Amino acid sequence: MSRMSERGGGDLRAWARRHGYSLLSSVGTLVRNPLTSALTIIVLAIALTLPLGLNTALVNLEAVHDNLDRLDSISVFLELDAGEDGARRVASQLSSWRNILAVDPVSPETGMRELAGATGLDRFEVGDVPLPWVLEVTPNSTVDIAELAERLRRAERVDMVVVDLDWVRRLDAILGVFSRLVILLAALFAASVLFVISNNIRTEIQRRREEIEILALVGATPGYIRRPFLYSGLWMGLGGALLAWLAVHAGLWMLKGPVEALAATYGASAELTAPSVQMLGLMLTGSGVLGILGAWVAVSRQLARINP
Amino acid sequence: MIRFEHVAKRYPGGVQALSDVNFELRRGEMAFLTGHSGAGKSTLLRLIAVLERPSRGQVLFDGKNVGRVSSRQIPRLRRKVGVIFQDHKLLTDRKVLDNVALPLLIAGYSWSEIRRRVRAALDLVGLLDKENTLIPALSGGQQQRVGIARAMIAKPPVLLADEPTGNLDPELSEELMRLFCTLNELGTTVLIATHDLDLVERLGRRTLVLKAGCMIDDRSGAGAGRRDGEAGP
Repeated sequence: MSRMSERGGGDLRAWARRHGYSLLSSVGTLVRNPLTSALTIIVLAIALTLPLGLNTALVNLEAVHDNLDRLDSISVFLELDAGEDGARRVASQLSSWRNILAVDPVSPETGMRELAGATGLDRFEVGDVPLPWVLEVTPNSTVDIAELAERLRRAERVDMVVVDLDWVRRLDAILGVFSRLVILLAALFAASVLFVISNNIRTEIQRRREEIEILALVGATPGYIRRPFLYSGLWMGLGGALLAWLAVHAGLWMLKGPVEALAATYGASAELTAPSVQMLGLMLTGSGVLGILGAWVAVSRQLARINP
Repeated sequence: MIRFEHVAKRYPGGVQALSDVNFELRRGEMAFLTGHSGAGKSTLLRLIAVLERPSRGQVLFDGKNVGRVSSRQIPRLRRKVGVIFQDHKLLTDRKVLDNVALPLLIAGYSWSEIRRRVRAALDLVGLLDKENTLIPALSGGQQQRVGIARAMIAKPPVLLADEPTGNLDPELSEELMRLFCTLNELGTTVLIATHDLDLVERLGRRTLVLKAGCMIDDRSGAGAGRRDGEAGP
């Protein structure tokens, strides 16, 4: 037998083959322990589903918020003595304004019915409160509501203009809190992904301690020994991200009916937005990198113990 | 090729495995290392493969002090030494093929080349039909031969064997020793730790004798056979 003969290719090809063998070995490990692998991936998926689900909810709420902005109407209270004729006249005037989409006059009788309905009081309990004609003005979506309200205030026969912007601002603030919460949760669960994978690889290394020793005995470099574990970490990360993605899609599918029913009560139609493909890419990359990182931490610590 | 200069090895806890061992094994030489169990044979082999570091003295491999090589260089050095372990050190959840292929996988050989060489090596140790058998399904002697196939598959310049015939019947032992002799004739430096003195005697090679961590005898090939013959029962 001759000395260390030809390697059947250059160093680069040998390197690529070593990587290929490591990759196959990592897949082999996953396949040989299907239950352990599946459980780990499910745990990771659960950890990732929460921030992804919340983010999806946030995206959808923001869409609702945008819709509400457009549906936002201004209540214009006319002077008490304006009467039906006056109200109709003002209404037709206002509807010719460029910034106004629609004007809907509400008679004092209708107003009274709504008031009674809203307060839950009998009409006669409310009594004979004089109510003015009210014009519900729907502004153009692009308009500056505050400025339009100011112009309406100066218009003929207008007593009072009510713009309820408070709840819009409140919703804005809530969404702000919510989106910060999503970021915090994402960071928290990213850390948990790191630890779950790191811990999993650590037990895997302990289980395969003998194998690692043997590899070291026959001259494997630390890099060679480390590689299959890094691949395992990567597979777990990718698997977890993919499963979380599917879980959120399944969740959206299950919520579709009830959300549509809810939207119908507001006379609106709702279209749930699923997480984008970019988001899937981001999750796969992030989770994959975390997987490799977690594995690296675990392997480096264990290797330092094994080598003399 | 391998030189020990005043080598001592003390394990943590105070066990003195070797004390002041000196010898040289030249390139292409073949020698047996004998002595009672506990004499330090395994430790001596482990020092050559850098599985241990000496407490004192120098172990020179190819002129390099292996006690001083950095951990980064250890894998490269170990690839030059094929080691056959007493307890086989095989991957028990893998097939024979995967075990024997290990050194070639690490070196990055192509799969077709690996298959070819594994078959050749298994043929040499008489296990060609066991290529796809899982390790636990093999007898102790067969496992030992898988270990031998793995040690020699990458054609390392040095082969170390720790009791390679411990689990084998006399016929097979003889056959395997002949195999080591053949590898040696092809240029491999071979050092075999054994207490099978009959076999050592019959092969008439250089014999190093360890006793309680000291090298008490170093008999050249021809002399070893004759002397043991005279002292025999």
